[in-house]
Amino acid sequence: MIDRLLIANRGEIAVRVARACRELGIEVVAVHSTSDRDSAVVAMADEAVHIGPPAPRRSYLHVPNIVEAALRAGADAVHPGYGFLSEDPDFAEICAAEGLTFVGPPPAVMQQMGNKATARRLMAEAGLPLLPGVVEPVRTAEEGRAIADEIGYPVIVKAAAGGGGRGMTVVREPEDFDEAFTTTRAVARAVFRDPTVYVERFLSGARHVEVQVLCDAHGNGISLGERDCSLQRRHQKLLEEGPAGHLTPEQRTELGRLAVHGALSVGYTGAGTMEFLVDGTGAAYFMEMNARIQVEHPVTELLTGVDLVREQILVAAGRRLQLRQEDVVPRGAAIECRINAEDPTRGFAPAPGRLEVLHVPDGPWTRFDTGYRQGDTVSPDYDSLLGKLVVWAPDRDQAIRRMDRALAEMRVEGPGVHTTIALHRALLRDPDVVADRHDVQFLDRCLPAVLARAASLDAAAPGLPASRGGLQLVPTPTADPRPDRSTEGEIPCPPRPSLSTT
Amino acid sequence: MATSELSARSAGPDAVDDVRDLHDEVVALARDLPGGLRRLTVRDGDRAVEVEWATGPAEAPAAAVVPVAAVVPAPVAAGPAETEGTAVRSPLVGTFYTAPSPGADPFVRVGDEVEPGQTVGIVEAMKLMNPIVVDEAGVVADVLVGDAESVEYDQVLLVLRPAGGPR
Repeated sequence: MIDRLLIANRGEIAVRVARACRELGIEVVAVHSTSDRDSAVVAMADEAVHIGPPAPRRSYLHVPNIVEAALRAGADAVHPGYGFLSEDPDFAEICAAEGLTFVGPPPAVMQQMGNKATARRLMAEAGLPLLPGVVEPVRTAEEGRAIADEIGYPVIVKAAAGGGGRGMTVVREPEDFDEAFTTTRAVARAVFRDPTVYVERFLSGARHVEVQVLCDAHGNGISLGERDCSLQRRHQKLLEEGPAGHLTPEQRTELGRLAVHGALSVGYTGAGTMEFLVDGTGAAYFMEMNARIQVEHPVTELLTGVDLVREQILVAAGRRLQLRQEDVVPRGAAIECRINAEDPTRGFAPAPGRLEVLHVPDGPWTRFDTGYRQGDTVSPDYDSLLGKLVVWAPDRDQAIRRMDRALAEMRVEGPGVHTTIALHRALLRDPDVVADRHDVQFLDRCLPAVLARAASLDAAAPGLPASRGGLQLVPTPTADPRPDRSTEGEIPCPPRPSLSTT
Repeated sequence: MATSELSARSAGPDAVDDVRDLHDEVVALARDLPGGLRRLTVRDGDRAVEVEWATGPAEAPAAAVVPVAAVVPAPVAAGPAETEGTAVRSPLVGTFYTAPSPGADPFVRVGDEVEPGQTVGIVEAMKLMNPIVVDEAGVVADVLVGDAESVEYDQVLLVLRPAGGPR
């Protein structure tokens, strides 16, 4: 059993893990950099250890200091959160070597899933559907062009070690291939220190659907339903929701089954996410696996009532899963909006600063996960996630209205501080988003229109107009039933590329 | 036997180059190190290099500690509590030792004069002994951490006051 756990992270996820520990009766050891010395998790923890200066490389990524902190503070387990060292197999291995329980999968499995090419090969062997492409790394542009010719354009060149939306290039014409190949390799080498790339078919007009899985160390695994994360900006998720209303119940069940099968086939343990691309027919293709708790895990928590971080810790401690697949019954609809300290009108440039006002929304089925309090400073040294606003409602339409209400309640003010709040309100008013017919390229394509709408909302934005007609899980995609009041004067968004929607 | 660490090497342009660079550096290190080596452990994850010396008859274990460049005493922040002197801070998380080995005399006592480059303590982390070296002369005004106590990053270990100043 785990008695004292060190959280090797900061911000909202550190607070989230600390809360789960409190409820489990586990003592909390926080680690912090110099700029985080007065952070929320430090105030919550039983013990806090200063591990380094603000630069992540010398604090939250500095393995010796973190491991020493765990040993000095008498911790018997380490939770890595997401980002930082969460997918570093060396860190997991060092923890194990020092007798610390690492809350995550075995290091070898983490290593396999961390390499996208290896993960693709293993999942192909497990029988999961993959997009046409290659599993092996592509070494030369000629080799890549031959593969692209075979699978057909458009294709996407991806860094095997890529992540966080970086290291991917879409190629639409054969004559652009060589340059894309060279550029992606250069980016991969510079950012991920591994120039390995692979090539697969690029699916346009697809949805990003991911399945939450939970596996114990005794060979049991369950799926906790799916999340749709199609609202992305340059492959970075902005708004996530569940369930994926565009899938039939049969497609959902099958996707869940495939995800659990894939995870168990590689010996995965703990909480993980299998990411798929889903085309207009509901056919799903495995993309990658995230071997950690994810930012958007609260969506699944609200749908299923399962505390994923708690389960993750218990499974790491060696306990058998107490939940069976039939116990997991997702209900209603949940939406998460990432509230980032960024300025969407300036290319989402980080806009950190002191939070002179931080008024957090509240009310029925409204959750706000954050590591910041009013008066705290958002440091430029770390990611710009200020908090995650998550709501639940019996159906998607009510969830959209609840989210808009909660976003309207939220106030974040400070010199130089900008957020994505207005952008989210504008998104929730977009006819394609409301009708749940957007795709993963939607935001990149329609950003100017969404930003224009956000600007017109910025002043005293009213709530959503009154609902017309009954509530439905998936609104009919034929016409937007809402009066066009809120979208007056908007820049028309270019139509979405043709896609068979049947 | 004792251990030491090597500063981070620069990342090569390619994985193959990395390995080659690392190899060259390890060979150079093995040549440069004094005494008979027993084992060199190279880890690429956080780029640690562990050196284990053959236990020579003449050499006491603690004497084999090689100073590392990581230790930089920082000037005392202009806080209300410490208005005088220079704080010597821990550059890492670990266990502070005031003496080279259990039962031995401490490196320094209150009132001792120290010279630049002098070792005033050790912080052990991940089984590596990291000497704490002062970079300016002074007199030890206070030792704030006891032997074998845990220290965190930036914690003040001892305070120096200028040499020749009023007591």
